[in-house]
Parts: sequence; structure tokens; C-alpha cells
Amino acid sequence: MKISKGEKAFGVMNTILLSLLAISTVYPFIYMTALALNEGLDSVKGGIYLWPREFTWINIKTVVTNPLVQDAFLISIARTIIGTIGTVVITGLCAYALSFRSLPFRKSLMIYFLIPMLFSGGLIPYYIQLRELGLIDSFLVYIIPGLLNIWNLIVMRSFFENIPDSLIEAAEMDGANPFTIFWKIVVPISMPMLAAISLFTAVAHWNSWFDGAYFVNEMSLKPLQTYLQNILMNADAAQNLRQGSAAAAASTDAAVAAASRSITPMALKMAVVILGTLPVLIVYPLLQKYFVKGVMIGGVKE
Amino acid sequence: MKLEVVKEKPNIVEQTIVPTYKKKLQVIWKYRWQFGMILPGFILVFLFNYMPMAGIQVAFKDYNIFESMWTSPWIGFDHFYFLTDSEFWRVFSNTIWITVLKFVVGFPAPIILALLLNEIKNNTFKKWVQTLTYMPHFVSWIVVAYIIEAFLSQSSGLVNELLVYLGMEKYYFMGSEEWFRPIIIFSSVWKEVGFSAIIYLAAIAGLNPQLYEAAIVDGANKWKQTLHVTIPGILPTICIMLILTIPSLLNAGFDQIYPLQNPINLPVSEVIDTYVVTTGLNQGYYGPATAIGLTTSVFQLLLVVGANQLSKKYGNTRLF
Repeated sequence: MKISKGEKAFGVMNTILLSLLAISTVYPFIYMTALALNEGLDSVKGGIYLWPREFTWINIKTVVTNPLVQDAFLISIARTIIGTIGTVVITGLCAYALSFRSLPFRKSLMIYFLIPMLFSGGLIPYYIQLRELGLIDSFLVYIIPGLLNIWNLIVMRSFFENIPDSLIEAAEMDGANPFTIFWKIVVPISMPMLAAISLFTAVAHWNSWFDGAYFVNEMSLKPLQTYLQNILMNADAAQNLRQGSAAAAASTDAAVAAASRSITPMALKMAVVILGTLPVLIVYPLLQKYFVKGVMIGGVKE
Repeated sequence: MKLEVVKEKPNIVEQTIVPTYKKKLQVIWKYRWQFGMILPGFILVFLFNYMPMAGIQVAFKDYNIFESMWTSPWIGFDHFYFLTDSEFWRVFSNTIWITVLKFVVGFPAPIILALLLNEIKNNTFKKWVQTLTYMPHFVSWIVVAYIIEAFLSQSSGLVNELLVYLGMEKYYFMGSEEWFRPIIIFSSVWKEVGFSAIIYLAAIAGLNPQLYEAAIVDGANKWKQTLHVTIPGILPTICIMLILTIPSLLNAGFDQIYPLQNPINLPVSEVIDTYVVTTGLNQGYYGPATAIGLTTSVFQLLLVVGANQLSKKYGNTRLF
């Protein structure tokens, strides 16, 4: 087939445009990494674009040795792992049971689970309820309210409904109870879907900051994203980040002292951001394998 | 358990002998494992979705935190005074501004991206562009706020560096009212355009290749093919996505907006969701904040029902 001049020009323009778009999505991360690895006072002069000019680990070091950041990081890891496993197990079991076509009250139960998607009590009644359950200022506030995700319930249920009945019936013949069947047969053949949902849930847990900001007051219980939000919006909190380096500034080692004096709040902030983004960027290639499938599963239901 | 599958017919005979309530209990007993699996989810939804619905009564009560909301006195519609408050209507209009602008720019963007990606013949390049443009979707809004700060900050932001290089004055973008909306719209498109394009790319991939062959036989060039084959082909998907955006008319994006608020941009950056948080959780006016939340919930419900009617009529599908 002949390609006209116009089409050729369009092809070139298109490639340039999409390249620019792709670059615009990675560049901010490169830029912030460069700032995190550059001496703070030197960065203020500007001119850092792709790589650090005065390379230093001191920003990263100050940040990772800060006890508040360490706590926040551990809380984030803990809520991501516990929350993801809990959500997938509780929601998965519920979805599996609801996928039985002859289950009594099946329709009423589905309506019961669907109504909250249409109407909610709003934030304040939700907050009051959390307080009445004693979840405020508790690590469990990150985990328990999210254990049943209604959207995932719908996606999982429609997936389980498509598992051939013959597989389940054969196991029932052998006298296996539904728990065993779920664990031994349903979970293994649903692995791609479960992996997709787990990864999405994990990323949502890692990225969530609101619950930490409003349902928890105890500093040592705040997850990393809330901590990031705190130092973004609150200059005093950003100053606290430097406390670790204040000790280093008084150090007898002249080189260490000089390096730590060059630390700026901006450089430290960038270092924490890198810390808060890195885990997601590391699992991203893994995620990518599954999420297209995940979107498809969700899309079918839409 | 074993016999149930085999002995279906004798069961029907039994049915006439055994009383119906007993029969029903038997069926429930048969599914006891399933009910056990549902129970935790059932309780969780009751506690975290239905109980807050009961908590809506706070909107009509003189509630204080030292008393239970069940025993607080009823006061009628006093908390709904916000409807006569010009402050609220400014917040309301801010919300509509942001959602409408986000829709106008953010809705066509992924469709255009999908169409452009579809024209790329080099698969490696296509895959790279997809991988990179999906990525921001998985980054938190807090990190996006930091990116915005890193680019726009007055002291060391890249954009200001560029302005100085071009011989212009430095400008404090985050401290201006007129730049707030463009920043919100641009960053939300930047974050979501790639990921939202997936659904359209899938729709394009599902089109029948014979349609294109027929179009080529008819002498249609690439542009004509896009206009007469691709776009009509993905129109059902576009319609569904369009209908799905309707319920979010009052949802300006709390997670995105809140981290970017500051006292200077507050006149344009305060939206309903942030207003509820400020009045309710920060200042402790539970009643009025619940009333505002209830009003938006009801409005949102109407939008969802309306959208559902639309999709039944035009999309031949129902949302629920």
C-alpha cells in the first residue's frame, strides 16, 4: 500500500508527540531523584535537570535514619501487607459464596452489598462510627474498614461465576467442604485475577494518606504518605526532618559537619518522596503484567 | 452431599411430605459453609456502610461528642442553614468548575491518546509509550503535589528557572488564584490519561479487521478510516464511559486538591469535599458537615439513577 506524504508527516508528528508525553511522565521522577541526590545548598542555585551536580547520599541518609520516617515506612509496609492479604481473603470468600447460583437469599444479599455503592452516609457519620468502634488512633483503622471492598467483590464474583460447575461438583463428590474447594481448586485457577486485585489493593494501601491524617493522631502510627502530606503542608514538620542532621552538624568530623550544613528542607523532602515512590516503581513492572487484565475484568462489569 | 446430585427426582416426591419451612431450613443448612463465608463481609458492610447511614441523623440533631448521637435532641433542619450561606455556594461553584473543566479536557484526552497509539506501527515504541504513560496512575496524589512543588516553586522551581532564562519575572504559581484550576486540570490529565486510554485501546483492538479492509477497498485513507471505522466502532465504549462520569459531577477529587490548598488559593480551591473535612473534622461542626454530606449524597444518588436510566436507554446496558 502506498503511503501518502500527509500520512508520513502525521506519522512523524505522532511519534514526536507520544515521545514527549512519555518523557513528561518519567521526567519528574528523574528530576526529583537528581534533587534528592544533590547537595541541598547547591540545588538552590538551579541548573539541576537530569543528574546531580554535587552528588551526595547525605539527604537520603538523614531521612532514612530519622526515627519518624522509619516508623512511617514500617507502618506503610505493615498496612500494605496485612491489609492486602486481609482484603483479598475476606472479599474473596464472600464473593465465592455469592457466586453459587442456588444460594438462598442470593438476590437480597447482592442488593445488600450493592446499596452502599449508590448511597453513603458521608464522612462525618463514618468518622463517628469509627470512634464508637474504638478504631480512632489504632493501627486497625487502616485494615478493618477496607477488608470488604464492594467493587472487588463484584469483580471477583463475576469471575468465580464463570468457573465451570463441573470442577466444583467433582470436588463435592469427593466430600470436600467449600473452604477446601475454595483453597484447593478455586484459588489456583483464579490466580491471575487474584494477583491483579492484590496488586491494585496493595498500591491503594501504600498510597492512601487520608485515614492516617484524620483517624490517627499518634505520630508514630502515621503511614509514610501521611507523613509526606504532613511535611508538604506544614513547614514545622519539615523542619523536624532536619533534627537528625542537627546532630551531625555538631559532629567533630569536619567533612560530615560541612555536608550536613548544606542540607535544605527541599532536598530532604525530595529524599522522602523518593522513599515513598520507590516501592511502587519497583513493583510496577510486575503490576503492569496484570493490570491490563484487571482493567478488563472491571470493564466487562461496567 | 454425595446423593443430592444423583437423586434429584426422589427429592421432588419428598418435597410434598416435608413441611416447606423445614425444607427451607434444610437448604440453608446445606449452604451453611457459604453463609459462613459471607458473614464477615456482611458484618463489615453493616458496620462501615450501614451504620454511617444511620449516623445521618446527626444532620438533624444537636449532637455533641460527649453524648451518644441516639440520645441527642432533634432540632429539625437547623443544620441546613448552609443552603442560604453564600460561602457554601461559592464552594459549590468551585466544585462544578473543576469537575466540568476536568471533564472537558480529561474526557477526550484518553480517546485521542488511544487513537494516536493505534497509529503507531512500531510495537516496541508503542509498548514503551504505554508503560510510561500508565505509570503516574500508580503514584499517590501526595507525590504529584510534590512534583508540582518541585516544578513550580518560586525559589527553585524548574518553570521559574525557565522564566528567568527567558528574561521574565519569577512567578508564584501556587500562590495565585488564576493558576489553580489549570494546575489541577493539567495534573489530573497527566496522571490519568494513559491509564484511562487502556479501555479505548481494548475497544479498538476488538474491532473487526474486515471493516478496515472494506474501507481500504473503498479508497479510504488513514484519516477516513479513523473517522468512519474506528470512532464509530468505539462509540459504545465512549457512551458508557461518558455515562459513568456523570455521577462524579460533585466529586472534584479530594486527594488531589487538598494537598495543594493554601490560604492564598483557598477562594478557588475550596471544594465540597474539602469543605466538609474542614468544617467537620478540623473545626468539629459535625451537624452542618453531615448535612452538607447528606445533601451531596442525595444529589449523587439522583445523578447515578439518572445515568442508569440513560445507559438503559442508549447504551443497552445497566450500571446496576
